[in-house]
Amino acid sequence: MKSLKTVLLAGFACLALSGNAMAQSVTVYTAGPGGLIEKLAAGFKDETGIDVNVFQATTGKVMARLEAESANPVADVVISASWKTATSFAKKDMLLDYTSANAKTVPDFLKGPGYVAQGISALAIAWNPKSGTPKPADWSDLTKAEYKDLITMPDPAQSGSAYELVAALTAQPDLGWKLFEGLAANKMIVPGANAQALNPVLQGAKAVVFGAVDYIGLSQAAKGESIEVIFPKSGTVIAPRPMMILKTSSHQDEAKKFIDYVLSDAGQAMVAKTQLMPARSDVKADRPLIADLKILEVDPKTDRKAVLDRFAKTFGME
Amino acid sequence: MRLTHLKSRVFGSGGMIFAAVAPVLTILVAFPLLFVVLQAIFPDIARGIFANPFSRFVETLFDKHLIAWTLNTLMLGGSVVLVSSLVAVPLGILRGLFRVPFAGLWDVVFLVPFTIPPYIAALGWIMALQPRGYLEQITGLNFGGFLFSFWGVVFVMTLNVFPVVYFAVSRMVSSIGGRYLEAARVAGCPPMRSFWRITLPLTTPAIAASLLLVFAMSIEEFGTPAALAARSGFLVLVTGIEQRLSDYPIDLPGASLLSVILVLIAMAAFVLQHRIVSRRDFQTVSGKPGANRAAELGVWRIPVVMFFAIIGFLGAVMPILSVVLTASTRTISGGLTADNFSTENFAEIFANSGGAMEALGTSLSLGLGAAVITGILGTMTAYVVVRQRTVSSRILDFLTLMPNTIPGVVVAVGLILAWNQPWLPVTPYNTIGVLVLAYCCLLLPYPVRYANAALRQVSVSLEDAARVAGAGGIKVFFRILMPLIFPSILAAMLLVFAVAARELVATILLAPIGTKTVALFIWRQFEQGSVGMGMAMSVMAIAITMTIPVAVAIWARKQGRLF
Amino acid sequence: MISAENSAGQTGSPVVVTGTSQRFGRNTVLEAIDLAVAPGEVVALLGPSGCGKTTLLRLLAGLSRPTTGSIHIGDQLVADASSGAFVPPERRSIGMVFQDYALWPHMTVAQNVGFPLEMQNIGRAERDARIAEALGMVGLGHVADRQPGTLSGGQQQRVALARAIVSRPRLVLFDEPLSNLDRELRESLVVDIAALLRKLGMTAVYVTHDHGEAFAIADRVAILHSGHILQIDAPEQLVGKPVSPQVVDFLKLGLVLPAEVQNGDLIIRGGKHRLSPPAGLINGSRSGDLFLPRSALRAASADGGAQKGNAISGTVVHSMFRGDGYAVQMRFDQNIAIEMFSATRLGDGTIHDLDISWDRAFWYPHDAAPALSHT
Repeated sequence: MKSLKTVLLAGFACLALSGNAMAQSVTVYTAGPGGLIEKLAAGFKDETGIDVNVFQATTGKVMARLEAESANPVADVVISASWKTATSFAKKDMLLDYTSANAKTVPDFLKGPGYVAQGISALAIAWNPKSGTPKPADWSDLTKAEYKDLITMPDPAQSGSAYELVAALTAQPDLGWKLFEGLAANKMIVPGANAQALNPVLQGAKAVVFGAVDYIGLSQAAKGESIEVIFPKSGTVIAPRPMMILKTSSHQDEAKKFIDYVLSDAGQAMVAKTQLMPARSDVKADRPLIADLKILEVDPKTDRKAVLDRFAKTFGME
Repeated sequence: MRLTHLKSRVFGSGGMIFAAVAPVLTILVAFPLLFVVLQAIFPDIARGIFANPFSRFVETLFDKHLIAWTLNTLMLGGSVVLVSSLVAVPLGILRGLFRVPFAGLWDVVFLVPFTIPPYIAALGWIMALQPRGYLEQITGLNFGGFLFSFWGVVFVMTLNVFPVVYFAVSRMVSSIGGRYLEAARVAGCPPMRSFWRITLPLTTPAIAASLLLVFAMSIEEFGTPAALAARSGFLVLVTGIEQRLSDYPIDLPGASLLSVILVLIAMAAFVLQHRIVSRRDFQTVSGKPGANRAAELGVWRIPVVMFFAIIGFLGAVMPILSVVLTASTRTISGGLTADNFSTENFAEIFANSGGAMEALGTSLSLGLGAAVITGILGTMTAYVVVRQRTVSSRILDFLTLMPNTIPGVVVAVGLILAWNQPWLPVTPYNTIGVLVLAYCCLLLPYPVRYANAALRQVSVSLEDAARVAGAGGIKVFFRILMPLIFPSILAAMLLVFAVAARELVATILLAPIGTKTVALFIWRQFEQGSVGMGMAMSVMAIAITMTIPVAVAIWARKQGRLF
Repeated sequence: MISAENSAGQTGSPVVVTGTSQRFGRNTVLEAIDLAVAPGEVVALLGPSGCGKTTLLRLLAGLSRPTTGSIHIGDQLVADASSGAFVPPERRSIGMVFQDYALWPHMTVAQNVGFPLEMQNIGRAERDARIAEALGMVGLGHVADRQPGTLSGGQQQRVALARAIVSRPRLVLFDEPLSNLDRELRESLVVDIAALLRKLGMTAVYVTHDHGEAFAIADRVAILHSGHILQIDAPEQLVGKPVSPQVVDFLKLGLVLPAEVQNGDLIIRGGKHRLSPPAGLINGSRSGDLFLPRSALRAASADGGAQKGNAISGTVVHSMFRGDGYAVQMRFDQNIAIEMFSATRLGDGTIHDLDISWDRAFWYPHDAAPALSHT
């Protein structure tokens, strides 16, 4: 009853109490994974005594909230699941220049002025060994008849990394759109965002995800689900997760300390624990790391809309 | 006679209530929605800049998908309305006219679909019906082909929304009573024909009003069509909105513009409903009270109970069963095998009882708060709309429908745009107050529609009698009208409570930093890949959310009120 | 107001109710009712609320099914509990006037009245003519195109009447049709309805709790009490020869005094009064109810008649001027009171004797079968 009263009071009195009015705190807007930011916030508080106010949602929702708040920004630090966020924020001059002392061992392509990777995920094939299909080794294996009607893929229109995978693979001279046409002929479905693509494979309605986010599959496997994450030998795309401090931040010192903490040994260990690849090359993890993968590049000049249209057309999603 | 009524309406209680309601609705609904429209027109409004008006119109409106998506939206909304009316109108009429065995139980069971978040229900159906889903594991059958089709979407969405129609129709019919029907039977009219000639026309206002809600809800629903039919290429306007808000670059103006199209579609439906209702405005609750006797079903008892039971099973039991199964298995891929069953997920929730309980407490409080506020405000608005019949009251009427036609995520964006303006001296933004605002804004349509239909039946003379007895406008409202239409309001408030206690789409964007609600808790579990734990939390949330409607039902029964 | 000049003088059907009971769960509302209504006869069902009169009417209408017994309308067996035969209301060719009118708010007056004809698939032209005729009979030809909600209560009731008779049904049922109207309207309407029914020769069953209304309209009146018909007779007969104290009580015909017999004298319960009836009234029974009709009681001064056993003394509770005299409420004991007429005002609280004319008294013995004994 007491909290009902609080709700009503808050509703009627419209108290102004926004996050950035509080002293000794830093407000972080972050995309998943959910457990990670809570651990980071707790560790950071222990070390510095600074509170972390967290807003956690999907990258899209984080961006939508940032965009809608732009008249009166609230966030200090933003962590996105899409590298593109960082490069375009930098281009719009929204980011505070800061290079953390802990970023020395972060490879150059994972940092820039004003942004640095928190961790990295890669796309992979997630395969259910109980599905009765042979274990695939490469993307093109999935065009074989054994996988007919048994493949799902996250929608590139809703998932930035899935888009990059399509863009990178179709730019391969030996593959092109033929791969996706083959998948379409194999009745691959595109049921939505990453989670929707994985669910049917877990239950066995489908056998394999084309382009699953690796850390999600790895953590499912760790929980005992019948799922195996396979990094295709012809290569895949990676999705570094950039952290950045907004220029409008009124807690820039705390924000810098937070970036430092995420890149510290303790912070990077937490990142590794969630099955993401740590941004620092000197931090170990219990999974394949960047050096173990063949990474495909996406030409920044690729016409995103054209790729998405062609993809939608190929899979009859118009 | 007519003239004095009119005068007393304009200058009496109606005027006072109008004066009370209009500013509140302006702040609650018009203010954020204005920003949605502004956003559609001025792409940089979020930065407070009124530059380049309409610059995004061409790109958005000439999207080659737009026509197909709009047609799909209309088709989906129309089909859900059609199937909902085929299911819920007979159920509501049977419940209202006859002594249906276990009537109270059905009311409670039909409230359950509202407490299941649509994304959970859709996931529950997928896990139950897809190939190698629970149904196939148990019976060897799967209905994946049906589920992942247009009609699968209609099926699941109908089961989510039909209670809106059921409650409206059953309340209306029982307040009309069976006497008009008996008079027709005695006059030589066979049962089915009496139904078409008497019952149906008299129930039309309630049916039309509730179907309007269903239509509005189904054109703005994202989760179900996305989860079920997107894979077969069936995309709707909300898909386009969601795409514009799901990955960088975020296109707020485009999403807002598409929302405005949704509002226009809803406006057309509203005008249609208004035409239907205004020509059939009957006052069936007169100053002459009479006992309503529910008729006996006779030999139809068993088929009718079967009908209620089948719909109850499909709407409430099936999805919950699937959710419970998922929650009580260790891994999804392990399936329904003895060694895979475990209470681990529930145990983990209890282990994290602090966070989970806090989320439950917040959600229940938010639900109650929203129910109380929208109940009072909705009745007052409906009163102004029904009794005052001016252009401004009709605008109020439509204003209260609009939030229901816009996807929750866009309403949330509107609320941020509106309430995060730097020039505001005080703002609820970033307090829990903004969630109260959001739920009230989104859910106000239920009490307004329900109260509207109920008030249309109450004779003006009952109010006049109270005024003559010395009651002022506000007193008449609270002492006479509220009690008379209370069963309808109560039903609407329970719906509001159930939805507000599990709202996700707007919450995810608006929740003040650090606030936990049930929906957010569940969503985070899914995000972390703990589908089972999210489902376990859903089960507990549904169970706890249902205790309040059940308690209300028992209380109302003891009071001798209709529920 | 109501005219029936154009009546065809046809006759309604007879109605026979045999051994009909109605039970809801363990609650018996009607118990083994037998009732025969002759063609063209008007029977009123009179009784306090809850006596079962409306239930009986609903059985006749076919709005509920009897638990036992059978009902015939004309030659047609419309309900028979033993065989399960049941004719639904729409196939009974009846008319009915409801207490709250039940005019359909979404139809005009003419559409309401024409509805029964429409159900019989009667063509437009004939329908219009008969609607006009029926509305003419009730004096409402001018409101045909109005909505029922815009009419006064009396007008609505007459529309309901027109709707009930328009198809010349073989039986018309009235469910307390006038109880929502004011007294003056009620008195004029009851006369009009009676005239109309007689002119049209319709069989009718009329439920009411107002005996004035019942006496005014009915050929015979059935008194219902707790699911039983206590007595069914012409109004004069009911008043003149009530068969039981309940009938007396319900019709408020006079004083009912429960009494013990001691040496030929009557000790009225409570012990305050001892009366000496003439031999032959009591006929050997040991206890019973003494019924003294109003006409058997005459106010006297307190002259000691009470001692002689031929008068009963009571206290005036209240005197009320009635224009041509005074209505006086007198109390004899805790539970025994009567309303009397007096030409003069009797002071509140004063004690008066009422002389008894024993030749008009009735005795209902308790220990014998309830047979009427009369000197």
